[in-house]
Amino acid sequence: MAKILHYLNQFFAGIGGEDKAGQQFLFLPKPLGPGVLLTDVLKNRDIEYGTVVCGDNYFHENEDAVLTKLGEVMTRFAPDLFIAGPAFHAGRYGIACAKTASFARERFGVPAITGLFEENPGTREIGRHVLVIQTGASTASMPSTLKRCADLAALILNDDRDGLEAFKEEFCLKIPRRFTVQADAPDSVRALDMLLAKLRGGAFESEIPRIQAAPHPIPAAIQDLSQARLAMVTEGGLVPMGNPDRLESSRGTKYFKYSIKERDDLKAGEFEAMHTGYDTSTVNADPDRLIPVDAMRRLEREGNFARLHDYYYVTTGTGAMPAKMQELGVGIAEEILASGVNGVVLTAT
Amino acid sequence: MLITCLPNVATQVGAYRIMTGNKFHYPVGNPELAPEDETKWRAQVLSAALKILQTPVESPTVFEK
Repeated sequence: MAKILHYLNQFFAGIGGEDKAGQQFLFLPKPLGPGVLLTDVLKNRDIEYGTVVCGDNYFHENEDAVLTKLGEVMTRFAPDLFIAGPAFHAGRYGIACAKTASFARERFGVPAITGLFEENPGTREIGRHVLVIQTGASTASMPSTLKRCADLAALILNDDRDGLEAFKEEFCLKIPRRFTVQADAPDSVRALDMLLAKLRGGAFESEIPRIQAAPHPIPAAIQDLSQARLAMVTEGGLVPMGNPDRLESSRGTKYFKYSIKERDDLKAGEFEAMHTGYDTSTVNADPDRLIPVDAMRRLEREGNFARLHDYYYVTTGTGAMPAKMQELGVGIAEEILASGVNGVVLTAT
Repeated sequence: MLITCLPNVATQVGAYRIMTGNKFHYPVGNPELAPEDETKWRAQVLSAALKILQTPVESPTVFEK
């Protein structure tokens, strides 16, 4: 016999809509809403099902109290699996699902599942090891999500580790967050152990996941450079003096473009680099060392290419999330393409 | 094309046209030269960059300066 505890908000529990968002935390020893559909899919199993319900507003206004009560239910009911949601693109519900699932997993070591749309703010609250099934934005994806939820529940209850890995790879959201974990040995020891294993040709596993870059089309070579418009881009954080747009100096989330129209070179004191990832003093002393306006103007005058684009683009590429950088890269590329630019020189520090 | 002092990282993430920059914290700088000489040097570096933009590639490629 397996026990499943399912967290729902007031809406999916069938209590009511926004007018019932103040619903207090309660436990019911039966499935409700999506839980009924789930038990139907899992009907060949002997399952004891419990549901915890909480109004979306009540959860956020009384989070500590709700989690305390949830802890009492977890102890009493002792589930083998905790399910929250799915919450699709619902923000308050998504955050509550993320927090309750993380609480069940972290405090009680109970496997926890939720279902979220990738842009749900709940994805930022997901704790380590919580499995997040990727859903659509609306409840239209309820049937497929519940089918996957049932498949995942079966894999967990059967302790099918290979199946679980395959499922995660295909259907779960990758949560690009850093977690604090307790390790068996200090980092210096772990690093040296890894190094020794590598030198001996033994097996080791890096603690830093390799970036898996999706392949993208190869940009064609420029056929006639004399007709080409070129732009400059950098991740080195070069901004006008005083950083008027407040570009972050690390963990960048923005990019900007700044005019170099009618400039023959970039002068010290007019531009400065916002970047905690390198010593910016040499660039600040001559910003052409990062955005080479002087050299590009010279080559432009000599007719090597048709025209230097009026703006350079900049972000800060230190401590940043690859996913965010990809998004910024797409934004910069789209703007540049729309301006009729044919080629880019990108400098990276 | 990309000018960086970490061509191995650039290759890993799939940049196609890569040139090794001068120094990590000033990829197209050479502060040991006099200012006019540095601009000339930089124009040579960027001239090489322009050649790279005109070169067909089939996989991430690190070009010589």
